[in-house]
Amino acid sequence: MKNSKNRLWYILFVAPLVLIFATVVVIPFLMGIYYAFFQWDGIGANPKVFVGFDNFKHLLTDTRFFKSAWLTTLFTILAVASVNIVGLFFALLVTSKLRTANAARTMIFMPYLIGGLILGYIWQFIFTDVFKRLGELTGFDNVFFNWLMDPQYALYAMVFVFTWQMAGYVMIIYIAGIQGIPEDVIEASKIDGANGWQRLRKIIFPLLMPAFTISLFLTLSSAFKVYDVNLSLTGGGPANATELFAMNIYNEIFGYGNYGFGQAKAIVFFLIVAAITLTQVYLTKKREVEM
Amino acid sequence: MKFRKRLLSSLFIGVLMLILAACSGDSGGEGGKSNDGESGKSSDQKITIFQSKVEISDQLEALAKEYEEETGVEVEVWGTTGDDYFQQLQIRLNSDQGPSIFSLQNVTEAERLKSYVHDLSDEDYVEHIAPGMALELDGKVVGIPYGVEGFGLVYNKDLVSPEDVADYESFVKTLEKFKAEDINGLGLAKDAYFLIGHIINHPFSLQDDFYSYIDQLTAGDVTMAETETFQEFGKFMEAIKENTPSPLDVSYDEEIGDFAAGKSAMIHQGNWAYGMISDFDVDFEIGMLPLPLQGNDKLAVGVGSNWAINSEKDEAEVQAAVDFLNWLNTSETGHKYIVEEFGFVPALTNIEAGELDPLSQDVLDASNSGETIAWSQSYFPAGIVPNDFTPAAQEFFLSKDMTGQEFIEKLDAAWKNAVK
Repeated sequence: MKNSKNRLWYILFVAPLVLIFATVVVIPFLMGIYYAFFQWDGIGANPKVFVGFDNFKHLLTDTRFFKSAWLTTLFTILAVASVNIVGLFFALLVTSKLRTANAARTMIFMPYLIGGLILGYIWQFIFTDVFKRLGELTGFDNVFFNWLMDPQYALYAMVFVFTWQMAGYVMIIYIAGIQGIPEDVIEASKIDGANGWQRLRKIIFPLLMPAFTISLFLTLSSAFKVYDVNLSLTGGGPANATELFAMNIYNEIFGYGNYGFGQAKAIVFFLIVAAITLTQVYLTKKREVEM
Repeated sequence: MKFRKRLLSSLFIGVLMLILAACSGDSGGEGGKSNDGESGKSSDQKITIFQSKVEISDQLEALAKEYEEETGVEVEVWGTTGDDYFQQLQIRLNSDQGPSIFSLQNVTEAERLKSYVHDLSDEDYVEHIAPGMALELDGKVVGIPYGVEGFGLVYNKDLVSPEDVADYESFVKTLEKFKAEDINGLGLAKDAYFLIGHIINHPFSLQDDFYSYIDQLTAGDVTMAETETFQEFGKFMEAIKENTPSPLDVSYDEEIGDFAAGKSAMIHQGNWAYGMISDFDVDFEIGMLPLPLQGNDKLAVGVGSNWAINSEKDEAEVQAAVDFLNWLNTSETGHKYIVEEFGFVPALTNIEAGELDPLSQDVLDASNSGETIAWSQSYFPAGIVPNDFTPAAQEFFLSKDMTGQEFIEKLDAAWKNAVK
């Protein structure tokens, strides 16, 4: 009796989500795999031609795709490092005995609520106008110039804005982790004479491992998939220097009208992201310690 | 206990119903639409317009309101930012949420949307379309031109006189002179069409027969790098890069604003820009000159965009869309909007041009006298400007060392990539 009632509750809450998840993720994904074997320009009424694995073979000769793969990897490495370092730093800061901790917490989390598209446009303005002006006024024009117009710095600008956006979010995860560390462990270490750095390295970090697992997974997968900031901040420019994976796929499908080939790229992209994030979760899970 | 159980199950059924309702929303709508008996009444008909010209969005919405008051047919205008219009259109059409009226730039786009374009050949106003300006696909008229447009060097008559930009030498001299005076000699903007899309039209259109030239280019029989006109075009671009501030920092708005403020002597623009220029208090006269590539003395005139109707919509909606275009192109209000509010140079002979702004007047004069070069860009591969030409042009303006000749070679590579 009790069991069946629970099951009813369970279905009540899960069913809508399963349905939504299926319609916007699972079904399109399966359809995507199907389309990857066709040559099709993406226009509903136009003919689809079955080409087997040709799209995947063609992928090996696409230099632009490989360039964007390299850029995405570079971006991900930089972004994951900077988001987690900054996020952890903020988390340690706002859990210390800071008087403005609560206000700081809210403010740091705020950018995440704004959304990548708008954030990108705001920062585009800052890089183009404010930075240039600042460079003219202060004379530091080797630091303050329009980063978006330099093929290399445009990528750094993206890392910067991405960090700005995500750091607050991973901070929340780290805060939860830090607060989960029992006071007495810390106190015991203090009595034993451990200094701040030792406490951080030997106690806090190992006990934070679950938080690392989640944060790294989140930043890794979202850095790989980033599109909104990419679109609004640089639009892939200048001269395709910041065209990351997702944008390359979008351009292939809608810019060139190669729907099938673009889908093939997307499948490969999915496999890469899945492989990397699963490896990461496996590795960091192994390092988690039981309390 | 029993009560709670009942509450729970009714809640459950409620949620299920909601989901089912949401899922069936699509088919329900379709069923309602295909019910011809009901939608025969024009008052509950609704049409949607998705068009590519940002400049006329506000005016078009005003027009939609007037049309609704007059006929009771609701007209919804969807916004766009312009640059990736065709991609957005494609997405909407694919998800069966396409508009009833959309714009088509050229025959290449019409070809791609072949299965969507409605045949307009039998409409009365089609015979009024100026010769050669209708958008035709397989002998059928599928697009009604918005209006005739032209572009070239929009110049400040206080600063520049026509003989200053009559050929390559004088052009370069003028740019150098302005550079010394700290004035921007020729303004471009970073957006795809204003950076490269329009200006690249010139070397193509100056070929004897640009259709066959483009076909040869696609087939790989010629390259731009070995064509004289393009070599000179490269030199023009070099001169622009050396003597003017980088256009990559300049938005469309800033380009126009700087010109209106007298900070730029010339901009490469079309008559559509006048609407925005006149928003500023401009205290000098303006005009339009041809880009003097190989001594060219003609403006590039063509049709920028065409109204097309989505044939995949149900009959009633297609008919309503046809009625709307009919009204736009034959009624007095429609004409008033085309000429006065949109500022178009009419491409239909039954529309009186009336009083035109100076830029449109220049275009109309050129068009009337036949002293024009064509818009070869309407024969470019679809999407080549934003996808391939723009990155190449960005690279050119970014690297100080790249010569005009190297730039043309980049464009060759871009072309190959676009037609592969």
